[in-house]
Amino acid sequence: MTKADIIESVYEKVGFSKKEAAEIVEMVFDTIKETLERGEKIKISGFGNFIVRDKKSRVGRNPQTGEEIEISARRVLTFRPSQVLKNALNASAEAEAEAAAAAQASQNNPNQGT
Amino acid sequence: MLKSDLINILVVKRGVTQKQAESTIENIFESMKAALCRGENIEIRGLGAFHVKNYDGYQGRNPKTGEVIPVKPKRGILFRTGKELRDRVNRDEEHGATPADSKSGQGEGGQGTPPVAANGSL
Repeated sequence: MTKADIIESVYEKVGFSKKEAAEIVEMVFDTIKETLERGEKIKISGFGNFIVRDKKSRVGRNPQTGEEIEISARRVLTFRPSQVLKNALNASAEAEAEAAAAAQASQNNPNQGT
Repeated sequence: MLKSDLINILVVKRGVTQKQAESTIENIFESMKAALCRGENIEIRGLGAFHVKNYDGYQGRNPKTGEVIPVKPKRGILFRTGKELRDRVNRDEEHGATPADSKSGQGEGGQGTPPVAANGSL
């Protein structure tokens, strides 16, 4: 999925023109980026949180040469998926696994029924 | 910033109705969620990419009792920040407002540099 698919979805469901939908989706992501750039976090309930974290400098190693180098202090963006999203993700994964298991169930006996 | 703030920004900046803004924001994240649930990866240029990772199940143990517990296979999301945003997030921290100051100091030029907010610390 890319931004184009999201624009398509907004276009179909909300009733903007294609152009409007594109501009609005663009504006949403631009706003998110600008906010994160300022170091502010973004909380989307039901989806997850984007958090900007300050990392201290630390000593790392070049894995190829084994040489020690200092990794400078930096600011990084992390995404923490919400519990709702994680559950949805795993519910759909289980549904798939069950469907696959059901296809084989006619031949094999399930060892552990849940 | 919350989902409601994003909705307000759409209302104020684009002049869409509250209802339209709500359904737009809801739709953006719902469609992303649906894609991830289908096991699809998402790539948003300039922001980053979301990858769905499948973890195998394994035999876990209760560290207290030593009891063997089967851990089911599961899925997780990995987010990788896009290069542009990674640099933007990091640059702000390092130099504060200084990178913009050097430009605004020169009164000459006037080569169509937009008068963006160059004052980080007012």
